[in-house]
Amino acid sequence: MAAVNPGERLLIVGQSVMLLLLYIFLYFPIFYVVYLSFMENNVWPFPPEFTLDHYALLESMSDFHEGLINSTLIGLGTGALSALFACLAVVGLLKYRSRFRAALIVLYMSPLFVAHILIGISTLMFNRGVLDMPGNIPSTILANTTYGVAFAFLVILAQLLRYDWRLDEAAMVFGARPARTFWEVTLPNTWPALLGAFLVSFILAFNNLDISFYNLGAIPTLPTIAWGTLRHGVKPELYALASIVNALVFLILITLYFLLRTGLVKLGHRD
Amino acid sequence: MSQVEAVRTSPLGRLWMNRNLRFACLTLPGAIFILLFLVAPLMSIVVFSFWRTESYNLIAEWNLDNYRVLLSDPTYLTFLWRSTVMAVAVSLISLVYAYPVAYLIAKHGGRYRLILVLLTAAPFLTGIILRVTAIQHILGPIGLINMALTTFGMEPVEVLMYSNVASAIGLVYLWAPFMVLAIYLSLLNFNFELLEVAKVCGARPWRAFVEVTWPLNWMGTAIGIVLVFVPTLASSVTPRFLGGVDGALYGTILAHQFGATGTWALGSAMGVILFALSLIVILGIWRAVNLRRSGFTGEEA
Amino acid sequence: MTEAVLQLDDIVKSFGATKAVDRVSIDVGRDEFFSLLGPSGSGKTTLLRIIAGLETPDRGRVLINGEDVTRLPPYARRLGMVFQDFLLFPHRTVAENVAFPLKMQGVSPAVLKQQLEWALDLVHLTGLEERFPHQLSGGQKQRVALARGLVSRPSVLLLDEPLANLDRELRKEMEIEVRRFQIDLGIPFIYVTHNQEEALTMSDRMAVMNRGVLEQVGPKLELYERPRTGFVAAFVGSANRLHGEIRGIDGAVARIDWGGNELLGATPSGAGVGDRVDYFIKSERIAIVPAEGAGNAEGHTRLAARLRDVIFKGQYADYIVTLPSGSELVVSGPPALDGLTPRSDVVLHWPAEAADVFAAEAP
Repeated sequence: MAAVNPGERLLIVGQSVMLLLLYIFLYFPIFYVVYLSFMENNVWPFPPEFTLDHYALLESMSDFHEGLINSTLIGLGTGALSALFACLAVVGLLKYRSRFRAALIVLYMSPLFVAHILIGISTLMFNRGVLDMPGNIPSTILANTTYGVAFAFLVILAQLLRYDWRLDEAAMVFGARPARTFWEVTLPNTWPALLGAFLVSFILAFNNLDISFYNLGAIPTLPTIAWGTLRHGVKPELYALASIVNALVFLILITLYFLLRTGLVKLGHRD
Repeated sequence: MSQVEAVRTSPLGRLWMNRNLRFACLTLPGAIFILLFLVAPLMSIVVFSFWRTESYNLIAEWNLDNYRVLLSDPTYLTFLWRSTVMAVAVSLISLVYAYPVAYLIAKHGGRYRLILVLLTAAPFLTGIILRVTAIQHILGPIGLINMALTTFGMEPVEVLMYSNVASAIGLVYLWAPFMVLAIYLSLLNFNFELLEVAKVCGARPWRAFVEVTWPLNWMGTAIGIVLVFVPTLASSVTPRFLGGVDGALYGTILAHQFGATGTWALGSAMGVILFALSLIVILGIWRAVNLRRSGFTGEEA
Repeated sequence: MTEAVLQLDDIVKSFGATKAVDRVSIDVGRDEFFSLLGPSGSGKTTLLRIIAGLETPDRGRVLINGEDVTRLPPYARRLGMVFQDFLLFPHRTVAENVAFPLKMQGVSPAVLKQQLEWALDLVHLTGLEERFPHQLSGGQKQRVALARGLVSRPSVLLLDEPLANLDRELRKEMEIEVRRFQIDLGIPFIYVTHNQEEALTMSDRMAVMNRGVLEQVGPKLELYERPRTGFVAAFVGSANRLHGEIRGIDGAVARIDWGGNELLGATPSGAGVGDRVDYFIKSERIAIVPAEGAGNAEGHTRLAARLRDVIFKGQYADYIVTLPSGSELVVSGPPALDGLTPRSDVVLHWPAEAADVFAAEAP
C-alpha cells in the first residue's frame, strides 16, 4: 500500500474516531442494560447495588419458559429450512451455467428489501385467507424462513465463491456421482458456511418480532413477551431478559466468527 | 463396465444426468418457497386491499373505499409523509456516517477487517425490542442521560425522548449497520490504487472521492440506502416507543389495523401503498445505478 | 499400432461464438504415450475435458474400447486423470486421496489395500500415507496425483499439463518417470501440454492443435521432420521462420527471394511464381563454416553472414548470425567449432530438402 501522507493520516484519525464512537453508540446501550439487570436501582444505579432479583422475577414469569421454548423452536426450524434452501441454491448457481442465474439471485435476495411488517401481515392474511392455515409455530417458521433464506444465501454464497469447484470435477472423474461428490468433497470443505448460515437464520428468527407477532397471535415468544412488558412501562425483568438474549447471541456469534476464521485459513480455497 | 451400463439404462439415471434438471432441482425448492411464502402473500394483500372488513372478517366485496380513505384523509397522508421524511433523514444520516467508517475498515482494517465489520453488524441480531428498550432507557426522561444531567444539577433535555428526534436516533441505531456492511462489501472490491492515479492527475482528495470512489462504489451505496430506507419507512415499533404521542408513523398506524380495530382490508391497502412506495424507491435507485454505468469495480476482469 | 483404446470422432465444441474444438478426430492405441500439443486457447484442454466427460461435445463421438461414451457422465467412464494444479482433496490424507477412486468403485477392503500399496509403491510414496496435502512438497503432491490417477488401473490416463507447476529440474526428472510409468503399465497416456520439448521427450505420437483445429497428428518424428503446416513447423522444434516470395520454379525446387537472399526449398503444392511463402529451416539443419575455404555445394541454399554471438548450451551451442540485410538466424551445432569466433565471417548452407516451405497465410 502507498505511504501515508499527513493529510491522509488526519483522515484516518478522524475515521477511527467515528468508528470508535459508532461502537460506543452501538454497544453502550447493550452493556448498560446488562449492568442494569444486576442493579437494584434502575433509574440511577450509582453507586451500584448488586442484585439477582430481576432474574428471579423473570424466571418466575409464567410465560417466560414457554416463550423461550417457542422462540428456540422457531429459531431451529427457520435456521434449518433457510440453510437447506440456501445451500442447495448456491451450489446449483455456482456449479451450473444457466440464463436464469441473475433472476434467481435477485429472487433469493428479494426478501431483504421487504419490510418485516409487510411479511408479517401478508403471510398472516395469506395463510388465514388462502391456505386456511391457523397462526401457529409452523406457519411462523415458514414466514421467518422467507427472510432467513436471504441471509443464509448471502452467508453461504460469500464462502462458496472462494471454493475451488475443480475439486468437485476431480471427484467426478474418479467415479463420484454428484450427491456423493457433495458428501465426500464439497461438504467437508464448506461446512462452516452452512453452519454459519444456520446460526444467522436462527438468531434472526429467534429475535424476530414483526414477522412472528402477526402469525402467532397469543402464542408467546421471547420478543413478544418483551413487547408486552414494554407496553406497560419498562420493567427490570426486561433487562434481565435482554441480557440473557444478548449473551446467547454473542456466544453464537463468537462461534460463528471462529468458524469463518477456520474456513478462511484451511481447506479447499483458491488462493 | 457394469457401472457404465447401470447409469445408462436406468431411466431415472438418464434423467439425472441432465445438467439442466440438476440445476433446477437445486435452485427451485428455495425459489418456489419464496414465491409461495413471500410473493404470493404480497400479491394477496393487493387483492385484500380491495375488499371490506366487517366484524373482524374479510368480506370479498370489491370496492375502492380503502384507497379513497387513505388517499383523501389528510391524517393518513400526513403519516405517510412523516414516514417518508423520517426514512430519507435516517438514510442520509446513516450514509454520511457509514461511509467514512466503512472506508476505514476496508482500506486500513488489514486482517482485523472481518471482525471490525462483524462487530458493527452484531448488535442487529439482538432483536428489535431489546435494542429499542436499551435506547429508551438511555434517552428517556428518567434515562441515563437525563438522570446524569439532573444529578449534576442541569436541566433534562426534553427533545431526547418521546420525540421524532428520539425516533430518528433509534432508527439510525437499528439500521445504520446495514449501510456500513453494504458499503464495506463494495469497497472490498475497489482498487484503492485508482486514487493514486487520480492524485497524480492532479485531483485533490475530495475531488478524487467524488470522481473516482463514489461512482465506482455507487452500486453498494445504493444497496445500503435501500436496506436502510425500506425498514425505516415501515417502522412501527420504534416510533411507538420512542416517538411519543405525536411521534406515530405510518407503520404504527398500519400495525394498528391488525390489532384492536381488526380492519384488515384497510390495513392491506396501507400495506400495498407502503410496498408500492418502497418499490418506487428501489426502482428509482436501480435506474440511477444503471444510468451511472458505474463500471462495477476498479479492478481488471 | 494395436487396436484403438480411445477414439475421437469428428468432435466439435463451441463456447458461445468461439469454436474451441473444430472437427477433431484422433485414435489412440493401447501402448501409446500420446501428446496433445498446442498454445493456450488451442482447445487441447477442452478436448481433454470432453474425453473425461467434464464437457459434452456439440457434435461427434467419444469411444472408449469401442463403447460410445459421449453422453456418459465422468463418474461412469472409469478413467484416470492428473490435473495441472494437482487438485488433491485437502481434507484427506495421502492414502485417502489415492484410495478415493477405489472407494467410489466400491471395491473390497482387501483389494483396496492391495491396490493402494501398489500405487504408493509405484510413485515411491510409501511412508507418507498419513500426511495431508498441505504438508507435501510440489513434487510429492505430483506423485500423489499420479498415484490417484493410476490406482484403479484405468483404461486411459489423462494428464492436463501435470508438470507445469514444478520447477525446472524436477520437471526434467518427472518427464522421464512419467514416461517410464506409461511403458511399464502398458496403458495409453493422453498428455496435454504447451511445451513442445516435453512432448517430444515423452510421446510416441503427437497431435498439434491450433485454435480448435487439428493441424497434424502422427508419430513425433514425423511431426518434427515433416511438418505438414506452417504452424506445426513453427511450433515443434526450434526453427528459423522466414518470409519470402517465389522467384522461380525448377521442377520440385523453388527459388525464393528473402530480403535479397536466395533460398532453395521444396515447392509447396499449387504454388506459382510470385506467391508468398513461409520458409522454415530448423536450427540444427543449417551447416555453419568459416567464410574462407567454404565450398559451393550443388542444390544448397548458401548465405554469407557474420557470427554475432555463440551461446554455449553444453552439448551443443547456438550460433547467432547476422546477415547483411540485417536479419538474424539461429544455428545449432557442436560447440567450439574451429574458426568460429564472434565477429568472424561465416557461410551458412543447407540442402533444399532440409527446409519446410508452405504457402504464406493471409496477413
